[in-house]
Amino acid sequence: MNTQIEEALKTLQSGNRQDVERAIETLQGVVYGFGMKVCGSHEDAQDTAQETLIRLARQLREFPDARALAVWLYKVAKTQCMMSRRKSKFAPLQMLSLDALMPTDSALSPAGTRSWQVTPEETVLKEELRGRLEDAILALPKHYRLVLILRDMEQLDTREVAEVMGISEDTTKKRLHRARVFVRNALAGYVQDLREGESKSHA
Amino acid sequence: MPDRRCKHIFTMLSDYLNAELPVKNCRDLECHLKGCEPCIAYFESLKNTVEACRQYQVRKIPAPSQKVREALLLALQ
Repeated sequence: MNTQIEEALKTLQSGNRQDVERAIETLQGVVYGFGMKVCGSHEDAQDTAQETLIRLARQLREFPDARALAVWLYKVAKTQCMMSRRKSKFAPLQMLSLDALMPTDSALSPAGTRSWQVTPEETVLKEELRGRLEDAILALPKHYRLVLILRDMEQLDTREVAEVMGISEDTTKKRLHRARVFVRNALAGYVQDLREGESKSHA
Repeated sequence: MPDRRCKHIFTMLSDYLNAELPVKNCRDLECHLKGCEPCIAYFESLKNTVEACRQYQVRKIPAPSQKVREALLLALQ
């Protein structure tokens, strides 16, 4: 669990007025950020932050343990995201087959794997790569997307992700692997397209 | 994939990156990676993907609404 969240929650629970404003800002950043990653929309993220933090106010005294409260916070934020007005953005429920995601011979060829070596041009294009990462994550079916965001972006551990999602640790691990491979493949295609474009322009 | 062994390795890569792979499987995976360049390259690309996700930060976080601030401050009284 991100220690920043636990610290902010502890500050709120302690009622130490001096640090409360900063703690509220931190939690706004965490929940709004999570909402943006999951929903991809400012309005949904803002609704998620508002509804979640207002519910948090009612629960502050109910959870003696800040870690348990943080898990609860993500559970509520997740539910808010799923209920958001613009929920049509979520891809329809579907499974990612590991066989379909398995790398092909060409992906493992020297040309396919070379696309991951970083060049100075890619540093310049970092902004575009960031956009591609966002697109790849939003293209994931929601139950894979949520697991990847919680584990790799919010940096919860496997047990905490399983708890937030209400699934087993084993299922969490399977979904995470498929989600990572899906995103990896989406970015690999992008970098490879760039390379081909560069080769043509240099020809 | 070049062979069935590579396919098996492929299924374990995320657990390995998370340091959640049993010791015996770790040894098998590391032993395979030593001799399989395509799997090494694939592993590196997956590791880079995870790293990109870890580094990703949402920009432009709006301030908490007045309603949120009031609710939280009230709860502290």
